[in-house]
Amino acid sequence: MEILDDTVAPTTAPTTAQTVAPMTTATATSAVLSAAALAACGGGNETAPPEAFLNLAAATPARHILGVNAVEAGAPATPLPTPAELMDWAERTYPDLFPGHKPDLIWSPYIYRYYPETRNYVGVAGSEVYILGPVAGDVLKLVGVLADFAPQVLIHRYAFSDIEASRFLAQATLGVTDADIAAVRSLGYDAWLTQQFAAPLSASNWDWLLGKGIGADVTLRNANTGVDGQIWQRLLSAPDSLRQRVTLALSEIFVVGLDGITGTWKQFKLAGWWDLLANGAFGTYRDLLEAISLNPAMGLYLNMAGNQKEDAATGRVPDENYAREVMQLFSIGVLQLNADGTPVLNNQGVAVEAYTQDTVTQLARVFTGWNLNVPRGDQTPAPMRQPMVLNAALHSNLPASFLGTTIAANTNGLTAFHTALDTLANHPNVGPFLASQLIQKLVTSNPSAAYVGRVAAKFNDNGAGVRGDLSAVVRAVLTDVDARGAAGFTDPKFGKLREPMLRFIQWARSFKATSLSTDWTVGNTTDPATRLGQSPLRSPSVFNYFRPGYVPAGTTMAAQALLAPEFQLANESSVAGYLNYMQTALGNTHVDVRANYSAELALATDANALIDRLDKLLCAQQLQASTRATIVTAINSISAATDTGKANRVYAAVLLVMACPDYLVQK
Amino acid sequence: MKHSHNTDLARRAFLRRGALMGVAGSAAPWALNLSMLGDAAAATNPGDYKALVCIFLYGGNDYGNTLVPVDNTHYNQYAAIRTGIATAQASLGATALTPSIALPNGLQYALAPEMGPLKTLWDAGKVAVQLNVGPLIQPTTLAQYTAKSVPLPPKLFSHNDQQSTWQSDLPEGARSGWGGRIGDLMLSGNAGSVFTCISVTGNAVFLSGQSAVQYQLSTNGAVAVRGIGSSLYGSAAAQAALRTLITPTRAHLFEDEYTRVTRRSIDAEGQVTSALAALPTLATPFTATNSLANQLKMVARLIAARTSLGPSRQVFMVSLGGFDLHDFLPDNHPGLLTNVADAMKSFYDATVELGVADKVTAFTASDFGRTLSSNGDGSDHGWGSHHFVMGGAVNGRRYYGTAPAVAVGGPDDVGQGRLLPSTSVDQYGATLATWLGVSATNLSMVVPNIGNFATRNMGFV
Repeated sequence: MEILDDTVAPTTAPTTAQTVAPMTTATATSAVLSAAALAACGGGNETAPPEAFLNLAAATPARHILGVNAVEAGAPATPLPTPAELMDWAERTYPDLFPGHKPDLIWSPYIYRYYPETRNYVGVAGSEVYILGPVAGDVLKLVGVLADFAPQVLIHRYAFSDIEASRFLAQATLGVTDADIAAVRSLGYDAWLTQQFAAPLSASNWDWLLGKGIGADVTLRNANTGVDGQIWQRLLSAPDSLRQRVTLALSEIFVVGLDGITGTWKQFKLAGWWDLLANGAFGTYRDLLEAISLNPAMGLYLNMAGNQKEDAATGRVPDENYAREVMQLFSIGVLQLNADGTPVLNNQGVAVEAYTQDTVTQLARVFTGWNLNVPRGDQTPAPMRQPMVLNAALHSNLPASFLGTTIAANTNGLTAFHTALDTLANHPNVGPFLASQLIQKLVTSNPSAAYVGRVAAKFNDNGAGVRGDLSAVVRAVLTDVDARGAAGFTDPKFGKLREPMLRFIQWARSFKATSLSTDWTVGNTTDPATRLGQSPLRSPSVFNYFRPGYVPAGTTMAAQALLAPEFQLANESSVAGYLNYMQTALGNTHVDVRANYSAELALATDANALIDRLDKLLCAQQLQASTRATIVTAINSISAATDTGKANRVYAAVLLVMACPDYLVQK
Repeated sequence: MKHSHNTDLARRAFLRRGALMGVAGSAAPWALNLSMLGDAAAATNPGDYKALVCIFLYGGNDYGNTLVPVDNTHYNQYAAIRTGIATAQASLGATALTPSIALPNGLQYALAPEMGPLKTLWDAGKVAVQLNVGPLIQPTTLAQYTAKSVPLPPKLFSHNDQQSTWQSDLPEGARSGWGGRIGDLMLSGNAGSVFTCISVTGNAVFLSGQSAVQYQLSTNGAVAVRGIGSSLYGSAAAQAALRTLITPTRAHLFEDEYTRVTRRSIDAEGQVTSALAALPTLATPFTATNSLANQLKMVARLIAARTSLGPSRQVFMVSLGGFDLHDFLPDNHPGLLTNVADAMKSFYDATVELGVADKVTAFTASDFGRTLSSNGDGSDHGWGSHHFVMGGAVNGRRYYGTAPAVAVGGPDDVGQGRLLPSTSVDQYGATLATWLGVSATNLSMVVPNIGNFATRNMGFV
């Protein structure tokens, strides 16, 4: 935190200047004693502060001590922090001055806290904030009014600038628009999120395929028609942008990819899969876990569909794939975790594994007997999103012991399945395991343990006693002080490399792209040499395009033990392939998907205004001054005298922003 | 520009390697460390060329149907275990292997029927088989495994972690791989060349060292950034601005690494493109629809261009995915093995055409072996597996290591025919590294657990 010079006049100056004697040690001691005495005799929080603290009229203005500026005259009214919020912030921001978390004490006109370790006081009287103790030179200081502190204290609750709104939206949605920025600024984060959670679900991918007539043409059941269109249309144009962003993140944790699913109507299987994730994105984890476990696409992808019980005569054993990956990737992970996501270590300092091969072998018995529910002769796509069904004759009747749960021999298959999912969903690893991955997907590759712990706590209990409420988890991820705090803008380790497909989606949404054909024929973008190196629902394996634990070997990041998942896709071919692909796409020479740059073309003659706009929409105004200068100079060298020239200015400006590292790393 | 970049890399390599050995040798005097460096440098000389090629089979190759017991006794054991997924004995006649030294107990193997091209190379003595190799920290018996009385590789049976362990000795998150660590030792002899460790597949830890970087290119060669090669949307100024913007050094670690990759991409592209353009066309056919063949063809072309690209010691990596066959093993595995054998045969033939057959050694690797047990139409994650080593320098038509029992519940089985490895990846890697020129003193820098094993050269090359 930068400590500012006290050059700004206080809004409330003392009417008379008085010299106040420094608080003596004796006074401070008696204050401590009286506070302790009151607490000891159950006197509640009414504690007398030292006399100097009460002489408000004598306070010296000293805004610089806690580093806030006065709000500008005429600035729009902002929400005010409560005294408790302000003092919590002071504890968080200046732990050396205000160590630990202390209770609120009340003594008219104050609500205040006392820190015996440092002998400092902080208190709020009316709208004014005072401090006393060594921090204030033992003279009562008026450090500002609540409104001055609001942009810092409430940084995780309200956007006090377009920069903050744009940054939030880059983490929360698939592309920032002027309207989104206005909405976030007027509502604040919580109300905006509440509105988004309640917003209607956009039209399903399934219905989009039906609308294209694809399900009605049975000859297309073995074709890939619509495989990519059904997902691109949703990602590039659906209005429920928060939900689609979270769904995209979930689709990279609970992974199904085209190459690993078999049988007919793959486009409908993938559409049903996406719809399932989108429908469940703000529901509970337990419901989502059951839905994905019984989904046909997942059943085929991880081989639970058609999995049969053991056969002692032939030595056949159950397929272990789903049992292993549901633990490793979809619920608990390979290591035992503490509540903040750090690994549990044994007494030799070695990480303890969460399960063994035997756990996998036993859990595999539970996942036998299930298969797709395709009525004989049915050639329609309808069964491709129906939950799998149990054939009891193929279900293992052996007992199964895993993760502290034992399922008795001959337990009904559905009961066993529910018990297994309950066991997984209630495992203490799930909260920190999912929290850290969602934070990585939306905010930063290397979240602090405290950040993971706070989000995991919301997974464990949303505040209303519900475990696994994913909307509460998303809210916790996006409104955390680590996500919203200004420190992330300057911390050289904060943030994440934007993944290539998110860059493309962000371009399309920022500039209101439409599909000329309405088929969204973006196609398969996986070739790193010529396209994005990544394409939605086309991961090469259940391990996604990049791993949450990926460390780019041999780099400074590796030397500092930093994770950088998206760097698994960054290499000498893909960095060039991305630039080449975007050069074509954003120059509106794509055959089908074209941007509407009308707002940008209107600014084309003013390079500074144009870059201001792109800087705000694309990267929360994080272009460095040198980057800006380079771009503005280049744009000014292009003649804006013709429509072609204006268009070229816009194309060049967008590409240059989307090429530079200031943009590529989301802060 | 390019020259200074290379010089800088060499200097960094020197310094970092010194630091690394300083750590490894703890109290060893600096002079001794310098002599170790000299040892590494002496491994290379300009008139001489050698390359290793790692062929990684992603997903965990099914060893049971790759190298099939074919004598009656062992075939019957195999078929009894592999219900629904056994290869027919009658189809194995043409690929039955006749080794120069027979295996004990009358055990005879055949390659999968689709691997005929590899059988040709085996017969010619250009292919050897390493039996039951996998990650180990030290020699481990079944009793020790069961009692967990010796350290075991962490996160066994997990795809991503065992891929990483095979490539680096550590699970996911490893900071260097043994291919890259070989590269570290070869950098000074290669004048610090960025072309020391080359991947024609995606990013993998295998080729990253302490100083040696993985250089990645596509099966069509290096990818040029179009916008810096010609005017951008009609503007030379925008073209120049693009180059400026994508190449700066940065304080933010992520930004800085991204621009470092971009600079390397731009610097290397011109050199690769012109070197490849100057080559005569390879006469050896590679199957255009075989992804692995396309990758190996690019490796062959890069080897052909070795004089213009510079390095005299190289490590390459290529890969093929799709081996995680929990289902459809009988349907899909043969096609994968067809591609493996076809691509490897073309690659060997190309090295003959280029006159470097005895200078290039290729080897297979994979996440893990699989169960011998059947789950109906596939197999599950295992541990030890059999692998192939191919090249003119290979002591071929021989098996190395110890053949496992064909049994569930046998002496090498940790469950359902998951093999407890009898040879470690460190021993496999040490043999390959030694052939490339890594000295005995430096082996532990490449494969850190090698000191725990008495045999440090399996002898297959």
